[in-house]
Amino acid sequence: MDPSTSRPAIVIDNGTGYTKMGFAGNVEPCFILPTVVAVNESFVNQPRASSTKGSNWLAQHSAGVMADLDFCIGEEALARSKSNSTFNLSYPINHGQVDNWDAMERYWQQCIFNYLRCDPEDHYFLLTESPLTTPESREYTGEIMFETFNVPGLYIAVQPVLALAAGYTTSKCEMTGVVVDVGDGATHVVPVADGYVIGSSIKSIPIAGKDVTHFVQQLMRERAEHVPPEDSFEVARKVKEMYCYTCSDIVKEFNKHDKEPAKYIKQWRGTKPKTGAPYSCDIGYERFLGPEIFFSPEIYSNDFTTPLPEVIDKCIQSAPIDTRRALYKNIVLSGGSTMFKDFSRRLQRDLKKIVDARVQASDVRLGGELKAQPVEVNVVSHPIQRYAVWFGGSVLASTPEFFPACHTKAEYEEYGASICRTNPVFKGMY
Amino acid sequence: MILLQSPCRYLLQVLSTRVQNLDKGVELDCQCVEFDDVRYHIQGTVKNPNILLLSVSLPTPPPETVFLGGLPPGAIDAIKAAYGAVLQILDPPRDGFNLTVKLNLSKLPPDEEHKQALLIKIASIREVVQGAPLRAVLKQLISRGPKSDLNKLVSLAHRPNESFFVVPQAEKVTLIFPMQFKDSIDTVLATSFLQEFVEARRTAGLSSAPPCLWSPSPPQELIGASDEALSANAGFVSFVIFPRHVDGRKLDRTVWSLSTFHAYVSYHVKCSEGFMHTRMRRRVESLIEALDRAKPESEKAKKTAQSRSFKRLSIKDGRGSSMNSR
Ligand SMILES: Nc1ncnc2c1ncn2[C@@H]1O[C@H](COP(=O)(O)OP(=O)(O)O)[C@@H](O)[C@H]1O
Ligand SMILES: [Mg+2]
Repeated sequence: MDPSTSRPAIVIDNGTGYTKMGFAGNVEPCFILPTVVAVNESFVNQPRASSTKGSNWLAQHSAGVMADLDFCIGEEALARSKSNSTFNLSYPINHGQVDNWDAMERYWQQCIFNYLRCDPEDHYFLLTESPLTTPESREYTGEIMFETFNVPGLYIAVQPVLALAAGYTTSKCEMTGVVVDVGDGATHVVPVADGYVIGSSIKSIPIAGKDVTHFVQQLMRERAEHVPPEDSFEVARKVKEMYCYTCSDIVKEFNKHDKEPAKYIKQWRGTKPKTGAPYSCDIGYERFLGPEIFFSPEIYSNDFTTPLPEVIDKCIQSAPIDTRRALYKNIVLSGGSTMFKDFSRRLQRDLKKIVDARVQASDVRLGGELKAQPVEVNVVSHPIQRYAVWFGGSVLASTPEFFPACHTKAEYEEYGASICRTNPVFKGMY
Repeated sequence: MILLQSPCRYLLQVLSTRVQNLDKGVELDCQCVEFDDVRYHIQGTVKNPNILLLSVSLPTPPPETVFLGGLPPGAIDAIKAAYGAVLQILDPPRDGFNLTVKLNLSKLPPDEEHKQALLIKIASIREVVQGAPLRAVLKQLISRGPKSDLNKLVSLAHRPNESFFVVPQAEKVTLIFPMQFKDSIDTVLATSFLQEFVEARRTAGLSSAPPCLWSPSPPQELIGASDEALSANAGFVSFVIFPRHVDGRKLDRTVWSLSTFHAYVSYHVKCSEGFMHTRMRRRVESLIEALDRAKPESEKAKKTAQSRSFKRLSIKDGRGSSMNSR
């Protein structure tokens, strides 16, 4: 028997903003790191060496090689680029899609050897991808995993399917539902029936965690709070994660804040990065206005104005008719930006309103002869929402059915990277 | 590029988080596997947040390597000497592990600096356990007392069913690493990496580093070793360690670097492969650009609409179409 199947598989969920990585069977990822690489680019744009002389060429060449090997990831990368101007930040994933494969490979290399410290030849790997990833990109992933890292087996799972599987242990297993994945750079509403994504009904929204941060930053800047400009994005992110919440009604919320400012206004304290001098500023309306951009996008953007609950409703309405009731019944939240307090309650209420209005309209149309059955709307929220995708991967990769569903190194060598284009839905998923 | 550090990053994070949140202790049950098949399992309860159970499993030793009670010789003493009262060895260990210890976090030193140092030491438990026999041999070099096992070939496990060899002598210790790799490309890269490595040792700046040699065939000292050890596919590396390499604080570093030498080489082989792939991708991209420029205008216009998705095939595409057009 292959000894690597006796070791826990490695589960890595590469998100636009954050990468979650760890061992299958654990309840929490070992590390959650920003998906960013700091590379030393001092030699990339050097003129081609042919014009310079022999020894000089060699020295330059090896300096270029050393620079290529000099990089770091995550928080380390952010810190390094601040203190050293020869390091440039590169974000390998954009809107859920890998668009810089060199950076991605380096990122994986550091994850595997420096963070998890495992030998990739010893473990099966479960990686994740967004529902809109192309088969070509899957081939690239397979190529890097099998050729560079020599992994014995690989499975590439679709993120929302894993998020559904995460509910697997918290309630009873239900592989039909709508996953609302609000990450850092992309928001997807993805209907899944029996473990299969209904591709034609996927809806994407150009508003996600990063936009909330931008909006909070903008509000604080407009009020002229004294945050040093080079730090203001980071501060806005922390403020968002610590203090933002979802309100039930903006007008009422404004009133509440105005009546009892002492209760609602928070203080942020920091030190200026350059001088080290302490500063503080107030956190006011942005606490509820930040998350509000999902429900009233017109306050943030002129181009996109459909509220999230309406998008979810449209998504379900476009799915096959026999799945709709089951979909309304199991709306699962996933991703860091669904962590705002009362986010699920607001979503549930707004969606229920839309659905009830439709049922009522049809009752009126039918003139009271036939009464439509009420539709059950259920937005499921659970404590591991922040890394639900990773957790689902951890659960699935520790079932015995996982290993036979993987593509193996031997298959890769026999048939080539094209085997990675499809990944079977396996038992245990539903 | 990095050198492998001795503390397990994840273990250290778990310990530090636990220590910082003793008042809101949570249920803890997690595992992790490191290079060379060292596994850790940590358990903790809500009821007794100060107590953690840490189990460690080591790679299965090959038959010629001595293990006493499931551990390398000298490991128990080394643990007791390194940790004192924070840690208690449980006998027998948990099923499937070589060692289980009970950590009592209330016995950590109160001041932050010492506390952190001890946590790092706990996270480095594999160094203490696995390195114990090698450390004993190297320590003999600097001790004045009688020396045992002189000129005898000692085998020490470092990977599943693989070991390296140590020959203690009066004034020096010779270590021999049979280098075995699974993948054929890795083997080739490792072979040339090791030759370069030996070459680099000769440069002026490194004249005080341990002398090292690489040879494709087993060196003389290995007479009598098992056939598996003698058939290493990437040759044999030997180091000679003198007392100056192990005095004072250098001992720990030397023990760790030597016992993870194989992992070090294998990591660098992977990095080189990644690096070559990066360069190959850049080359392919520049070739594709060149092909694109060579295309007649009419085709370019047609191409742009679809070429986004099928990027990888565009070399062949490009070649096919440019040939047709000739
Ligand atoms: N407690 C929290 N409250 C609100 N937002 C959060 C919280 N924790 C993380 N986030 C935000 O969630 C986003 C990351 O979510 P994640 O699902 O990891 O994204 P992705 O998978 O796209 O990388 C970031 O924008 C982060 O600021
Ligand atoms: Mg995500």
